[in-house]
Amino acid sequence: MASVTFENVTKRFGDVVAAKDQNLEVQDKEFLVLVGPSGCGKSTDLRMIAGLEEITEGKIKIGDKVVNDVPPKDRDIAMVFQNYALYPHMNVYDNMAFGLKLRKFPKEEIERRVNDAAEILSIEPLLDRKPKQLSGGQRQRVALGRAIVREPKVFLMDEPLSNLDAKLRVQMRTELSKLHDRLQTTVVYVTHDQTEAMTMGDRIVVLKDGYIQQVDSPLELYNHPVNMFVAGFIGSPAMNFMDAKIEKDGDDYYAEGFGAFRIKVPDKFKEELKGYEEKRVVFGIRPEDLTDARITHDLDITEDNSFEAEVEVVEPMGSEIYLYLAIDEHEMIARVDAESDAEVGDKIKLGVYPQKMHIFDNETEEAIF
Amino acid sequence: MPLTLKDIANMVGVAESTVSRAISGKPGVSEETRKEILKIARDYNFKPNKLAQGLAKQETHILALLLPGLAEGNYSNMIENIEKIAEKAGYQVILCNTNNNLEKEKSYLNLLEEKRVDGAIILGGGIADQHIVNTKLRGNDNIVLVNRLCEEILIPTILIDSKYGSYLATKHLLNLGYENIALITGDSNDYIESEKLNGYKTALNEYSIEFNDNLVHETKGTRQAGYDSFLNLVDVETPPDSFFVTKDLLSVGLVEAIKMGGYFIPQDYPVVSYGDTIINSIISPDLTRVVEPLDYAGEMAAEVLIDLINNDKAEEEIKVLKPKLLTSESTKII
Repeated sequence: MASVTFENVTKRFGDVVAAKDQNLEVQDKEFLVLVGPSGCGKSTDLRMIAGLEEITEGKIKIGDKVVNDVPPKDRDIAMVFQNYALYPHMNVYDNMAFGLKLRKFPKEEIERRVNDAAEILSIEPLLDRKPKQLSGGQRQRVALGRAIVREPKVFLMDEPLSNLDAKLRVQMRTELSKLHDRLQTTVVYVTHDQTEAMTMGDRIVVLKDGYIQQVDSPLELYNHPVNMFVAGFIGSPAMNFMDAKIEKDGDDYYAEGFGAFRIKVPDKFKEELKGYEEKRVVFGIRPEDLTDARITHDLDITEDNSFEAEVEVVEPMGSEIYLYLAIDEHEMIARVDAESDAEVGDKIKLGVYPQKMHIFDNETEEAIF
Repeated sequence: MPLTLKDIANMVGVAESTVSRAISGKPGVSEETRKEILKIARDYNFKPNKLAQGLAKQETHILALLLPGLAEGNYSNMIENIEKIAEKAGYQVILCNTNNNLEKEKSYLNLLEEKRVDGAIILGGGIADQHIVNTKLRGNDNIVLVNRLCEEILIPTILIDSKYGSYLATKHLLNLGYENIALITGDSNDYIESEKLNGYKTALNEYSIEFNDNLVHETKGTRQAGYDSFLNLVDVETPPDSFFVTKDLLSVGLVEAIKMGGYFIPQDYPVVSYGDTIINSIISPDLTRVVEPLDYAGEMAAEVLIDLINNDKAEEEIKVLKPKLLTSESTKII
């Protein structure tokens, strides 16, 4: 068991910076997810921990040991990828054991490790079977088993579920989380899928262009994104962003959307807005924090927390409805209760849960709150 | 001096690019001009310069073949077949001897990363190491492994099921009634050698014969090792009644030692060897041996690699080929 620490880690491929001055501590036994769009450097981070890529600057530690110059085989890590190789002529046991055999582990030790891994993965009855006799999920477990038998200090997983169909992927997510509980080992998991990140990670690292944007628990990321990138990346459908300016009226602050809306800022955020009076900002609200005013019971709709918009598309999802709306040049999505009878072309009043609003600096895109 | 594109262009009075399009069958050339260009090309036996074509497409038409060592006689047929298929498809093959040294392997893999070769076939060895995995992860997909395993990722692979070959050899001796079969192998760190040991054990197990560690000799695979193995093995508590040797050079030494001891093959000690190599074929008596489809494996490796280079959607697969047993005088009891 071990922690993994990045101290000012930078990785350059020629002129391209894949990791820029990253500082990060993956705690012992933590399930940490690295998430970000394609090209954000998440896989590079994983490969640097594995030792497959040398780092350009900084230090990486596994436990207390700096591993910059330690070859991959001596780092006590095991990697799992989406695209694994199960050998068709070997049974499940041999597919899990061959690495240990070739590393000259004693026979008894190999047997113990393979049997332990098979038990953890619930594939004991399958040990004699050949890969073609297995389902997709079972094969994935054998690939995991090959990593588990190495009894590594840290598991590194690079999009291991992206080859599976949607249903199996959801099932394997849960299984991987349970597996982590049983193994009590540090896991660093890379994905581009924010839902996967939110459901699996103890903490999530959001990356963009080689820079760490935010490291936090899933709920903190969702509720308190530090900038517009994180706010837009986490959550589905994504947060609505609308240009606005801050107006001060007496003691009160308003987010004013150039005639489209005028939402009063809750008192608790007033302090943060000092100095932003009359300045341009970006108003952010998640689709689930907008409501169809006609069917809202838990919010007193007033002029200060609502605005009108025209319905352009209605997408019933069963338990809720996605409304695609337009107001002046702004476009937005609202996730409203299935009770809503809004129709295309309707001009409806939308309520805003004011405590849930976000305001971002127009220049830096950093969250003001 | 051979004719160039420029020469033809001057002769016809068109641009070089027009000549190039006409010769490669691309559109954008009138039928009349195309005919004229092709006639000149034929008359003057014009051959497009592969290197120049490759430079334009950032292709070299060169394949790297990484070998763990040159002493492996077993691989010579395979190499010939790789080259045959490559040549047919317009590729040249360069041999890269890694001597099982990871740093050398890394430097040869750099040829691929630097696009100085279009693809690489990596032959034999243990587990695909970090350099191979990383080369692939960096998006260099044109790699084919032969008789080498990879723990982390799928790399197209051709494997010969040497466990099965060894199983066939052991079973053959068991069927003849021998129960104390000595196994002389190479380095068990080598995947193939470890698989041969597995096949030997599987056959014993099938015949309910207990595995006896004393009858297994792991060696460096040399002629001398084969000779010494016999001397050591006949000295154990339960001496062997037959021999299975997993490498041809070992067979040479073993047969020499048996004969030197005044024993007869197969009457005193039947012998089965592994590999249909020149060395095995010249030993007397003619050896019963496991024959691997090496020619086919070589062809297949080259075909798979060329497909990977030219077809973005080439399927990445693991193909397993089975060996056969060729019975001969060394196990024929009269």
